[in-house]
Amino acid sequence: MSKITLTIDGKSIQTEAGTSVMTAALANGIDIPHLCYHADLLPSGGCRLCMVQVEKHSKLEASCGLICQDGMAVETDNETLTNLRRDIIDLFVSDHPLNCVVCDKNGACDLQKYAYQYNIHETHYDFELSKTDYCADNPFIVWDHQYCIQCAQCVRVCDEIVGANAIDHAGRGFNSYVATPFDIPMAESDCVFCGSCVQVCPTAALLPRQKIGQGREWEMERIRTICGYCGVGCSVEYACKDGQIIYAQSYDNAPVNGSYLCVKGRFGWDFVNKPDRLTQPLIRKDLAYQLGLTDEPWQLPDKSVLQGKAKFDHYLPVSWGQATDIVADKIADTVQQYGPDAFGGLTSARCTNEENYIFQKFVRVAVGTNSVDHCARL
Amino acid sequence: MTNSIHEIRDADCIFITGSNTTEAHPVLSYEVIRAVKKGATLIVLDPRRIPIVKHATLHLQPKPGADIYLFLAMAHIIIRDGFLDEPFISQRTEDFALFEQSVKAMTPERAALETGIPAKQIEQAARLYAMGQRSFGSSIYEDSQTAPYRGHSTILYAMGITQRSNGTDLVHMLANLAMLGGHLGKPSTGVNPLRGQSNVQGACDLGGLPNVLPGYQPVTDAAKRKTVAEKWGLTDLPAQLGLTVVELTQAAETGQVKALWVMGENPMLSDPDVTHVESALRNLDFLVVQDIFLNETAQLAHVVLPAAASLEKDGSFTNTERRIQLLQPVVKPPGEALPDWQIIGAIAPKVEARLGHDRPDGYWDYGSSAQIMTEIAEVTPIYGGVSYERLVGQGLVWPCPTPDHLGTPILHVGQFSRGLGRFYPVELHLPAEQPDEEYPLILTTGRVLYHYHTGTMTRRSDGLDWIAPRGYVEVNPVDAEQIGLQDAGQVWIVSRRGKVRTQARVSDKVAAGVVFLSFHWKEAPANRLTQDFALDPIAKIPEYKACAVRLESTKRKGKKIKNSGAG
Repeated sequence: MSKITLTIDGKSIQTEAGTSVMTAALANGIDIPHLCYHADLLPSGGCRLCMVQVEKHSKLEASCGLICQDGMAVETDNETLTNLRRDIIDLFVSDHPLNCVVCDKNGACDLQKYAYQYNIHETHYDFELSKTDYCADNPFIVWDHQYCIQCAQCVRVCDEIVGANAIDHAGRGFNSYVATPFDIPMAESDCVFCGSCVQVCPTAALLPRQKIGQGREWEMERIRTICGYCGVGCSVEYACKDGQIIYAQSYDNAPVNGSYLCVKGRFGWDFVNKPDRLTQPLIRKDLAYQLGLTDEPWQLPDKSVLQGKAKFDHYLPVSWGQATDIVADKIADTVQQYGPDAFGGLTSARCTNEENYIFQKFVRVAVGTNSVDHCARL
Repeated sequence: MTNSIHEIRDADCIFITGSNTTEAHPVLSYEVIRAVKKGATLIVLDPRRIPIVKHATLHLQPKPGADIYLFLAMAHIIIRDGFLDEPFISQRTEDFALFEQSVKAMTPERAALETGIPAKQIEQAARLYAMGQRSFGSSIYEDSQTAPYRGHSTILYAMGITQRSNGTDLVHMLANLAMLGGHLGKPSTGVNPLRGQSNVQGACDLGGLPNVLPGYQPVTDAAKRKTVAEKWGLTDLPAQLGLTVVELTQAAETGQVKALWVMGENPMLSDPDVTHVESALRNLDFLVVQDIFLNETAQLAHVVLPAAASLEKDGSFTNTERRIQLLQPVVKPPGEALPDWQIIGAIAPKVEARLGHDRPDGYWDYGSSAQIMTEIAEVTPIYGGVSYERLVGQGLVWPCPTPDHLGTPILHVGQFSRGLGRFYPVELHLPAEQPDEEYPLILTTGRVLYHYHTGTMTRRSDGLDWIAPRGYVEVNPVDAEQIGLQDAGQVWIVSRRGKVRTQARVSDKVAAGVVFLSFHWKEAPANRLTQDFALDPIAKIPEYKACAVRLESTKRKGKKIKNSGAG
């Protein structure tokens, strides 16, 4: 690829041929305001906020779709551009409620950021909302049309990255809006609920349902870890408050997944809070009786465990000390009576490297057999 | 995977076989979509019309198990029509002549007769893959800009290839195809297994297998065994191969295995022929299960130990592209639940004391996960350069043998691990249980988008359980009509092992003669039907992807199921 040189705001910049002015500017620390541009998506040039002035060009140009030319001189900020951007934001907020004080996106909203930056606190046009539908027909995504600014990042991510093509523009002009085909419920559309649309939405038009009313963005602590589901190894950022997860999202340039997740990674973490989590070591009542921990004889019913619900009343809670003693006794008895090969261990593809390592070390060193396996085959 | 996930977006041709990528590895499928949108061709070879087919250039839809004809025929065509990468074959491989001989008889016409797939389509697939032809746009790779204009082609596969009684052969066959086209050791190429669990790669890497010590050092290799033993303060380690997961349950049933410790697994739903599994587990003298929920296996345990979930602990996972990445605890474990490594660390010294083993003080006393990783790096050559400090940020891709090694995102660059790449002639082998008059249909199993494995986690997630609350079987309209079954009606699926009742989705997603059932739901456990008598002879993997069944009407119509989106 050949290199070309241009100047942006007086700074000489070298870039690959074919790069857009927006990409070249961002790569060199020059932030051009934008609402519809996304690094992973094809430029749409719809928001007009990224307009720049190019020397010898008669008109202003949208920098997201403008390809760098050798010797080009670009200005990203001047009085003309500021006035233009103020007017564009003014137009946006004529069709977008400025009720930031109660909005769940407060503090993370791009429109709010630019309204603040350009000091637009009310519209000078007639305020009219083009669409006010509030759609919460599923447990994952809340779709609040009044906040939508038609940047179409959601439509493009669904097409260009996810390939689901579940949503697109409907209607014309002022009445156009983002919709599922024939406005069918999201669960009946081709939506796969990956939430990538939520991830890229610059406003509160698309929000994770788990987040609604649960706290302000700046109150949340953000912790990044690796998703526990499939083997892709996506990075997930959990927004937490008071020791509880509020919602999950990805973040730019995560090592494997970039900015994207799937439905399980983004919305499927709530099992951790379920009341039927195991919280203490348990011993089955027949063994408890044998060991004299209870006076009541008991027997495991013959009915298959695949029928009916899990029964906690088959067990007695014991301390960690008791539980580990019982396990150690039983394993040691087995090895002494029948030899090490009468023991088997199943380690886990859901446990960490460190845990798998010491588990197999335990089986090989303490017990003395190679009968350790896990569900890689299953 | 031989290559990295992010390379897929720059491939010129992607060949997906035996992987329902959008449902089982959704985020990886985004890479495929990105490539296709830029002009890559996509070949899907799968018995079901899986969702990614709507992006495919070509969908070859054989019956489960008949893909072997197509692979052999593709190799035949590549050789016959000169789509070979001759310099690659002559410089980097061996036994080509032997292999050439083995595919001579499998003409595309014969494969077409056997599979019902037109010879033209098989020829097209062979050409697109071998030559890495795009549908539009130009390759980003410079070596594709000059004659013979060969693009970069990548193979993605998953359990559809490996959960077969000839799984090892099939993987060899995919490697043969890759070598024919020279699609190895370069970016956006390779033979890439997509692994199904968050740390299945790491569990294998670190010796959670009955035949190898950490780092795939065979237990039968005396020298390697001795080196590891010495690092663990011993003189030697057991040399006899251990039992695999399916063999362990079989041995429990015969009474050969008496005690089993299950950590974070649920064989009661995930193993083949679960009726057998239940009687085997009940037959044990002692079963201890360590998990986050009282899952179906835990309900048979004598002792249940509460573990922390991955969101509640630190440590590291290794993903399908061999990238080792750090976990951070996000929330606290509930009640007295502990991270698994601490539980093992508490039990191990007690077992050793009872067996009278003499160990130095603190032998099992690991202060932190980081400290375990330090020992892993000493014992495991492929993790030799790994430490927690180095894992911060992007992680490391193994092999990473030394502290200054940057990791190896692409394997087999310039040379294969064994030197020359060997062509393995592969024999024609069909699934062990073929349909017959009594059981005329082939059952194939797999995952759906909204659930994960045995559903222990996803079925407890409110949203996921809302959208996919119950199982279903996919039936072709032709087979449905035979028993008067309507869409959304209840049906029995019967195999020689047992029967399962569930709701039917009548659609042409599956071909006539094939039914699909997922194994997530305990109410309709697919693995009550699957067989465990014919395992792959080398990998010992059960043949989940093909067994013989029949459908029986229940005469109940039922209500239409809500769309699950993914379709």
